[in-house]
Amino acid sequence: MDDQAAIERCRAGDKEAFRHVVEHYQAEAIGHAVAILGNREDAMDAVQEAFIDSFQALDRIDLTRRFYPWFYVILRNRCYKLAAGRKKREMSRSDETEIVAPTSSIRPEDTMLLEQAMLELPTEDRELITLRHLDGLSYEELAERLEVPRGTIMSRLYYARKRLRDRLTRHAFTGFSEG
Amino acid sequence: MTKLNCESVGMAAMAIADGYQSELSSDQVEAHLADCSDCRREVGQLRALSSLLDAQERRQRTENVWKRVERRLPDAAPARITSQAWRPFMLLGALLLGYRIVEMLPDRDFGFLFKLVPILFVIAAFSYLKENPFKIDSELRLEGE
Repeated sequence: MDDQAAIERCRAGDKEAFRHVVEHYQAEAIGHAVAILGNREDAMDAVQEAFIDSFQALDRIDLTRRFYPWFYVILRNRCYKLAAGRKKREMSRSDETEIVAPTSSIRPEDTMLLEQAMLELPTEDRELITLRHLDGLSYEELAERLEVPRGTIMSRLYYARKRLRDRLTRHAFTGFSEG
Repeated sequence: MTKLNCESVGMAAMAIADGYQSELSSDQVEAHLADCSDCRREVGQLRALSSLLDAQERRQRTENVWKRVERRLPDAAPARITSQAWRPFMLLGALLLGYRIVEMLPDRDFGFLFKLVPILFVIAAFSYLKENPFKIDSELRLEGE
């Protein structure tokens, strides 16, 4: 079943069709919510609420467009609302990374430092860097997801990278050198 | 030739590294970088960071939220906006237009109460729609920004 057919069925009250939508997008949604909130438990709450919000708003979706970018705006609102409400709750601190997957391109300890530096970033920076670099979104896609002009993406990305570079330097991160 | 602002050059250099055009041309950026050691170092670090980040991946998640979502889904199907949703507004517009035409008739004075008629129209319309026109939907606000 494709998204369009599933959404049509959801609109007719078929909850099982919504299961298809949830199971198709939940991994991506949880990953993004963790990137915004820096905390798995809050991310799960935000994703759950966002799916419920989206079910109730399915009448407003334009079926000619993809589901996930539309859903992302709802998810993002939920995450920021949660982040504003909880103020400074502890970010995830464990031996396992929550945002960055271990890869062979850098040492495991550098992956941990990178994750730590990302968790220290302002929420908007962490979200932007995740979407641009870990998901590979284009500037146009970022502008659509974050509902800002392309020029704003360019400047926000520049400052976000600078702040990340500063935090990595503070942690004596050695995983990158000047190209 | 005007001196370029280092911050604009940095921003443009990174946009170009990402494969996008900026307000500054690649030649302008490279010329500035050749002359400015601070910018050269800054952009060099940011390009290296960018390459490092591009080689990383987001951690894949395996959690399943369906059971938690399913329990809380409303029983009714999502209310669908039909093509008839505009009709009450059309009627309200027609009533207000009619009121305005009557009000413009010369040599007629309907008194003070007549001036309250548009307000009554609007109250009746929103009562019918069960909507509070003064309600602010806080759900749509990005708090914390």
